[in-house]
Amino acid sequence: MNDTFKDLIELSDFYILSQKFEEAIKALKKAERIKKTEPKLYYNFGIAYEALNENNDARNAFRLALKLDPNFKSAQEHLDRLIEE
Amino acid sequence: MKQFVVIGLGRFGSSIAQALSEKKFEVLAVDIDEDRVKEMEGIVSQAIVMDATDEKALRELGIADFDTAIVSMGETVEDSIMITLALKELGLKHVIVKTKSEIHSKILKKVGADRIVFPEREMAEKLAESLASPKIFDFIELSKTYGIMEMVVPKKIVNKTLGELQLRDKYKVSVIAIRRKVPYSKTDGTTDFKDEIIVGPGGTDELISGDVIIMLGKNENIEKVRKL
Repeated sequence: MNDTFKDLIELSDFYILSQKFEEAIKALKKAERIKKTEPKLYYNFGIAYEALNENNDARNAFRLALKLDPNFKSAQEHLDRLIEE
Repeated sequence: MKQFVVIGLGRFGSSIAQALSEKKFEVLAVDIDEDRVKEMEGIVSQAIVMDATDEKALRELGIADFDTAIVSMGETVEDSIMITLALKELGLKHVIVKTKSEIHSKILKKVGADRIVFPEREMAEKLAESLASPKIFDFIELSKTYGIMEMVVPKKIVNKTLGELQLRDKYKVSVIAIRRKVPYSKTDGTTDFKDEIIVGPGGTDELISGDVIIMLGKNENIEKVRKL
């Protein structure tokens, strides 16, 4: 059965909360192949990379999320925190 | 309480004098330049204008009563050598000298310096190390051979317990703490992290991707774990 974009985002949410960040990134990469215009996709990428301490990738992902939704408050907060570090 | 004398109040000398003073040590700061000495007044226990190459003046200062001297004479290598020699002859037990070159360090050792420091080189090496390995957050050198490193756990050892890894037996390295970002979902559906610190982790504690481990051990052994 083909996963839908929404399923994959939900799966990535589940993996993130289960601290399986690499699995989350795999799901998000699949989702990205379906749709690249959803800010939540890049937000979740950012969260997973931030958890892995891959801060460059996390910053880039949050920037992409903000490009798609400049009012994405949480993405901005995460990005600001990572820039301070 | 330990007593320090800092000779030469350039950038390095004044910084170390201030740092020692902040740690509540008694510090005598010495320089031939009146302005530099004035800047240290009120910061250290005592700051005096003196030509430290004058052995007689050093003796009158009761230099042998100090625990440690830090000689930081900047470009004037001859002065560092003369002062080191005088300090050792006057009976000072521990003399630390700042220098920039390997050749000077050899001469300084010959005249009795107990420790030579190369601040610029050490800083540069530390910076190069952190640029080369962005996964290292910090490294504290406890001695020439032992240190504490804080780094992101290498991929090869994630999803294993400390008991399984046997880092202490295999590498003679102790994991003294694990720092972990634990994600949680907020009411608005976004995600944030709370920092969890496991101090003195046991054999059943598992390392997960993204964990930061703080390890204590011989530098060479820490390096082996880092390269896993």
